[in-house]
Amino acid sequence: MINRPIEDYFPFGKAPILILIITLLAGIFLAFNPIEKNTASLRLWTFARNHAVPYQKATPAFEAKHPGVRLDVQLVHGEAVTSRLRAAFWADLDVPDLVEVEISRAGSFFRGPVEQVGFIDLIPFLRASGMYDRIVKARLSPYTNRGRVFGLPHDVHPVMLAYRRDLFEEAGIDVESLESWEDFIRAGQRVTRPGERYMMELSDNNPGHFEMFLFQRNGGYFDADGELIMDNETALETLKFFIPLVAGPQRIGSDLGSGRVFTQAIETGYFLSFICPDWRSKLVETDIPRMAGKMALMPLPAAMPGGRRTSTWGGTMLGITNACDDPEMAWEVAMHMYFDKEQLAERFRETNILPPFKDAWELPAFREPRSYWSNQPLGQLYAELAEQVPPQYTSPLIETAKTKMGGVISSCAAYYREHGAKGFDAFSRARLKEAGDEIRQYIRRNPY
Amino acid sequence: MKTLFFRLQHRYAPYIFVAPFVILFLTFTLYPLVKSILLSFYITNGPQSQVFVGLANFRFLWTDPAFHKAVWNTCLYAFCSVFLQLPASLGLAMLLNSALVKGRNFFRFAFFSPHLVGQVFVAVLFSVIFIPKFGLLNRVLHFLFEVPVDIKWLGNPNLVMPAMVLTSLWMYVGFNMIYFLAALQAVDRELYEASMVDGAGPFRQFLHITLPGIRSVAVFVIVLSTIGSFQLFELPYVMLNNTAGPDDAGLTVVMYLYQNGFVSGDLGYASAIGWSLAFGVLLISLIQMRLSGTWKTED
Repeated sequence: MINRPIEDYFPFGKAPILILIITLLAGIFLAFNPIEKNTASLRLWTFARNHAVPYQKATPAFEAKHPGVRLDVQLVHGEAVTSRLRAAFWADLDVPDLVEVEISRAGSFFRGPVEQVGFIDLIPFLRASGMYDRIVKARLSPYTNRGRVFGLPHDVHPVMLAYRRDLFEEAGIDVESLESWEDFIRAGQRVTRPGERYMMELSDNNPGHFEMFLFQRNGGYFDADGELIMDNETALETLKFFIPLVAGPQRIGSDLGSGRVFTQAIETGYFLSFICPDWRSKLVETDIPRMAGKMALMPLPAAMPGGRRTSTWGGTMLGITNACDDPEMAWEVAMHMYFDKEQLAERFRETNILPPFKDAWELPAFREPRSYWSNQPLGQLYAELAEQVPPQYTSPLIETAKTKMGGVISSCAAYYREHGAKGFDAFSRARLKEAGDEIRQYIRRNPY
Repeated sequence: MKTLFFRLQHRYAPYIFVAPFVILFLTFTLYPLVKSILLSFYITNGPQSQVFVGLANFRFLWTDPAFHKAVWNTCLYAFCSVFLQLPASLGLAMLLNSALVKGRNFFRFAFFSPHLVGQVFVAVLFSVIFIPKFGLLNRVLHFLFEVPVDIKWLGNPNLVMPAMVLTSLWMYVGFNMIYFLAALQAVDRELYEASMVDGAGPFRQFLHITLPGIRSVAVFVIVLSTIGSFQLFELPYVMLNNTAGPDDAGLTVVMYLYQNGFVSGDLGYASAIGWSLAFGVLLISLIQMRLSGTWKTED
């Protein structure tokens, strides 16, 4: 029997039997080496390394305070966190207990019937803990939808203007005298040499910079009731003010892109100043340490006399998902990570991000002079502006609205470059209305 | 007992062998296809929340400016792919098919190699090359023609498509060249010799021998390139930093499908876009094959 060829027993040849053997071996291997089961009682996803590291550091203290609870902080890539979270919500599978979502993505999770939103309403927790009145209220607005607060703000992200102090001084610009945008533009036109040097970094196609101006003037994409306002008079006036800054012969701004390209442009003096939310100040410190002592911060020039001297850029929310079995314990995690003053002080030194918890701003960490910023007390400067930060309301269509606004800016800049001020008013009005109508078309389609 | 074993084995073994494919095909191909047809009649917020809207999704496509922009961009890219990429591929193939070129194998590999690294890598590479002021392309252009160094290839709506076409040229010219090279090598050499005796020059040889000789491969490459162009996603998505670029200049149909399905959560509208794309590609492929005479019977 041993001497008989294998085909006598298995007539389909050697290859299929080899496949069968490999399949069996693989099955046996997997059966004996199962993937380790996650035994954590709470899971938190975050997309930012500079959030994940301090949370992981703070986890042992939280676990010691709550015996029997094991917290697993997972770092998930920025793009993946939203797609994975969405898939997890849809499949009701592998949903984390807590998750941090980036501000521009948050609105998309609030689509559909309010009871089907994947996050729980945090208002009862905020009120019961007394935190509701101790955080910057405006920062709840991006995570509020149909009267419910689905996210706890991680940050305030007030905006200042960072500038090359050495080059400003060289050019004889006195920042104390730059109180309004008109003052700033006048000084900018004096030092800007198109293609070589610009007064500030401003994009002629990305809505990000334009938004700073829009929010500063109490404008936005949606109002508190979710109504579209991106094409109202405030938006139009802001657009008409903004476009000559980035297009035409009197422009004072340009942009090259983000990351190292941007910081290199600061270092070479291509940009003399840039809009600088707290988080961006750390990016600059890290990327161009050689600029230490040459940089300084000033409040944004006001859009109108007595107007606010700041705006806001970026943000993150922490949400507790509906899938969480123990929302009270998840809230404890949120309290531990977001409202522990000692942790916030240490985290501020590491990230420069101002927390929305106002009590923390009194700590010495927020008042320390920073040598990089010409010995200015960075935390104090941002904290002084924090209460002026404008609210920004969201909608599931916020990303689409931003894309359309980018298109409006781009086409208006192209028009202004070609025709100047002639007919610009009518063109920008029509273009803005067209973009707004497109969004309304999507809103009308929404059956929820 | 042994006879029974052999009989059962003979009877059921084939089914067991094809079962994995059939199960996978039914689960991951047929079921999603059928499900997506059904979904296209709904507006959804994820798979669990659906509202039946009949043909409203398809009707909305006709009035949706973003979809129109995506279709326009995709068609423009496909047009450039066919009318720039393929002649360039054919030209390269003819050059590298010539015995006069030394080191042909090296050049064949060199031109083919961009395809080995994948779209994402190429997109990352070119997004660095296109950086204004510090990017390689602007530096070279400035050195050669003294143009400004701050041209925003990926920030100017008018330059986004040329940048994408340029990138795809670099990536696909060598790939399509391989098909043409194989086709050229299959053309009977005796036809060229006979035509030379008859006094035909290189142009007439190309027109009357080379082109008819490679017709079936050319049609295949054209259809394949068109289908590939209509499926464009990774290249603009990565190059434009997960956006559709300024003024949606880099928005393609598949990217719009992705945005609707996986960012907005409307799987119904995304399905409608997907099926419209499938029918569009089918129609264009049929027209291409009809025009190129693929179905003509040889006498």
